[in-house]
Amino acid sequence: MPMKIGTEEFNSRVEKGINDGFMREAVRSAQGRLYERRLNAAEELGNWEEWRNHGEEIRRHTLENLDYYLEQLSDNVAERGGHVFFAETAEEANTYIQNVVKKKNGRKVIKSKSMVTEEISMNQALERIGCEVIESDLGEYILQIDDHDPPSHIVVPALHKNKSQIRDVFREKLGYLNTEKPEELTLFAREKLRKEFLSADIGITGCNFAVAESGSISLVTNEGNARLATTLPKTQITVMGMERIVPTWEDLDVMVSLLSRSAVGQKLTTYVTGLTGTRDDGDGDGPEDFHLVIVDNGRSKILGTEFQEALHCIRCAACINVCPVYRHVGGHGYGSIYPGPIGAVLSPLLGGYENYKELPFASTLCAACTEACPVKIPLHELLNKHRRRIVEEEGMSPAMERMAMKGFQYGAGSPVLYKIGTKLAPLLTTPFVTEGMITNGPGPIRPWTETRNLPEPNKERFRDWFRKREREAKTDG
Amino acid sequence: MGEKKIHNKESFLKNISLQLGRSKPVQVERPVWKHQPQWEVHKGASKQELVEILKKQCMLNHTDFYETDSDHLTELIEDTIGKYEGKSAAVWEDPRFDEYGITEYFNEKCSDGTFSYHRWDPKLGEQNIVLTEKADVGITFSDMTLAESGTVVLMSGNGKGRSISLLPVTYIAIIPKSTIVPRMSQATREIHQKIEKGEKVVSCVNFISGPSNSADIEMNLVVGVHGPIKATYIVVADK
Amino acid sequence: MRVSLFITCLGDIFYSKVGKDTVEVLERLGCEVDFPESQTCCGQPAFNSGYQENAKQVAKIMILAFEHSEYVVAPSGSCISMFHEYPSLFKDDPEWKGKASDLVDKSYEFTQFLVEVLKVENVGAFFNGRATYHRSCHMTRLLGVKDAPIALLENVKGLEIRELPNCQNCCGFGGTFSVKMGPISEQMVDEKVKNIEETEADVLIGADSGCLMNIGGRINRQGKPIQVLHIAEVLNSGNWE
Repeated sequence: MPMKIGTEEFNSRVEKGINDGFMREAVRSAQGRLYERRLNAAEELGNWEEWRNHGEEIRRHTLENLDYYLEQLSDNVAERGGHVFFAETAEEANTYIQNVVKKKNGRKVIKSKSMVTEEISMNQALERIGCEVIESDLGEYILQIDDHDPPSHIVVPALHKNKSQIRDVFREKLGYLNTEKPEELTLFAREKLRKEFLSADIGITGCNFAVAESGSISLVTNEGNARLATTLPKTQITVMGMERIVPTWEDLDVMVSLLSRSAVGQKLTTYVTGLTGTRDDGDGDGPEDFHLVIVDNGRSKILGTEFQEALHCIRCAACINVCPVYRHVGGHGYGSIYPGPIGAVLSPLLGGYENYKELPFASTLCAACTEACPVKIPLHELLNKHRRRIVEEEGMSPAMERMAMKGFQYGAGSPVLYKIGTKLAPLLTTPFVTEGMITNGPGPIRPWTETRNLPEPNKERFRDWFRKREREAKTDG
Repeated sequence: MGEKKIHNKESFLKNISLQLGRSKPVQVERPVWKHQPQWEVHKGASKQELVEILKKQCMLNHTDFYETDSDHLTELIEDTIGKYEGKSAAVWEDPRFDEYGITEYFNEKCSDGTFSYHRWDPKLGEQNIVLTEKADVGITFSDMTLAESGTVVLMSGNGKGRSISLLPVTYIAIIPKSTIVPRMSQATREIHQKIEKGEKVVSCVNFISGPSNSADIEMNLVVGVHGPIKATYIVVADK
Repeated sequence: MRVSLFITCLGDIFYSKVGKDTVEVLERLGCEVDFPESQTCCGQPAFNSGYQENAKQVAKIMILAFEHSEYVVAPSGSCISMFHEYPSLFKDDPEWKGKASDLVDKSYEFTQFLVEVLKVENVGAFFNGRATYHRSCHMTRLLGVKDAPIALLENVKGLEIRELPNCQNCCGFGGTFSVKMGPISEQMVDEKVKNIEETEADVLIGADSGCLMNIGGRINRQGKPIQVLHIAEVLNSGNWE
């Protein structure tokens, strides 16, 4: 599936999310658990800010020198017998992957979780050439079995589904006979997927971080599926967003530590695997053929702009897990495979304002995301930069709003006009006041009073009181 | 050879360089980082303190933990295999199995035909995977061990197949006490330094912290997904 | 010590009592309070809606209004944190950027000023009641003022403070967000009100009029018996004569 999910408009997506009671309960409880876990994982280190500073400096340096490190990476991959394909677009990436699969006569592909392959719609491209593609991350597998339901979270993709829904899907599509217990559902998936792993011709993975100094790629999982996908099939294809790279193994340590703690509150995930090239003589397992596909797909346009820090993201979802807007609308509300604060920053950059112009405004700029980000991306500031661009450069804001803001500029930009305006406020609102409250306001106040009361403006403004008091003090004195 | 290994590099990188305000990649030195908190973790801890940290973390990782000496190691392995109701095992081709008397123990255990074991043999090719997949217990040594996260580090190659720690339903890691370091930083520094010296990093480095697990269904933790369902880590005094 | 009060537009128009209480507390602690008449609004409504050019004009008015002040104090963390945006707003204009930085350096949120500058944590207030405290996002995260209001409230005689569940979550105000994204804002404020009710507190205390207008407006609409107060009102409670 592409980055954009569904065709619904923003408002109806939001409404759908708000009315999905199960999803909201699931998100609420997940946020609660992950919040605690992440906080504990950060606190036990005692110097979390130092870790964040370190993460930030590594990401900043790497992105500032991305061309150099990508060149180093590709040379080292080739040195170790791998192939590297630099893909500027999704189409280029998919065509290359299709060609590798065709050349290998691949009929069955086993995949471990990868957001970038979702972004470029790789599965569909492979299915078009008659190849079976099987997702092996448990969450992704559930979604795939359920007629390709889109993911709603970048770490826990099936967060919006409950266990009885999953049982029903397994029953209907796979003939599952057991209960809705997560243990039984998981065991069933294990057995099904183990057969697929053993018979797949090709394993396709994403990449958490590539390591430039050795041409390695790293995969971070708890389930072990990425290990299977890179141990059993003869051919391995790894697809990475071009920014997912660190200079050295030492830096990999820091990024993986930050990722594990921020994503799931673990010190390390159960499996962290560093893979370099093809299998060595005498290995006995691992791929005989390795292809690394490095994807741009709009990322380079972000480099060198005020949004460059968005590329520092390590996809831990900490920002999603603290976001109060995500909490109430859920992942599908964002209309993108990248939801939450980072999604609201990234989706318009990769998918254009025409598709995602509402997302930067769907935030209170409360900065919970910025506070949670392990590599200190100033997410709420980037959201506000989007707003400025949409308004001032793209001219996409409503005419009424532009007029109102012009009015605000004149009103608050002139002490005289401001004083007249605030003086008039009580007079203008009087007709709408009952018992000191406005419950059904006119014009611009209406959306507010649809859900909340508004206090009536003071008859005596603060400044009137202050001046009066000063005068009285003078006459007294 | 002759086949082109890297495709489309020049135009792709040139575009990035231009975005970053230069015409082509320029050589950079990795800076000395201003912040290096990783070296503070369990700094100055003694070996025995690290063992305790490792033990505590193994519990959290749903990993059974034992400490023993080399005289009692095979006994402990026997018990663990018994607990796992294992009828077969797959192990690395690793001289440490001979050193610690485990090879001898297995040869004996197999003599009556009720138990079988497969020792990884690169010459057998794919047959290794088939045999390992059938084994009930996979056993490896640890090449480096991380106390903080309860992690064994396995370096592939020379008879040390990746599948052993992955395909069987249960897994035992034998940890020579000398391999224990505070955290991942020490392991990755060693790898980094080898690369700087021009050495080759092995094709697969695995950091493994207990049995596989998932919380993908309603955030409920289920232990045992695609990899082993149970794991035991045994710290053994070096021989 | 001379202090210029920045009342904020909400304070001037809707919450003049908060301003009066702020003045009285400051004066009782020995400050001489003045009120520069040409002040208007911090400009956040435009800035956070993407209208930075409009916000700039307003920012200039504010910079000029407080140009000669020794300290600037406002009963709002959010509006003071908006001042902190001014230097970057004028990043291409060294003269105004310098003036903006000067303003930032002398500006404080009310409780921050009491604790950090006046070094006072006990203002001698008395308030009988069971309350919970809403920590505003901009004040805690952007301005970094977390502990000052708590320290001050802990020293108020007769006041019992209950812990607010999910206190880290935004109340759903977000300035223009509250009207632009009404349905989402409603869900957020509803959850906040629910959490406040769970504490069984009779009083909600906050340090930012925007949040209080939002939460209070919802509480009022639902007819819940919870009093909503600005921290200045609580700190100015007691028998002072």
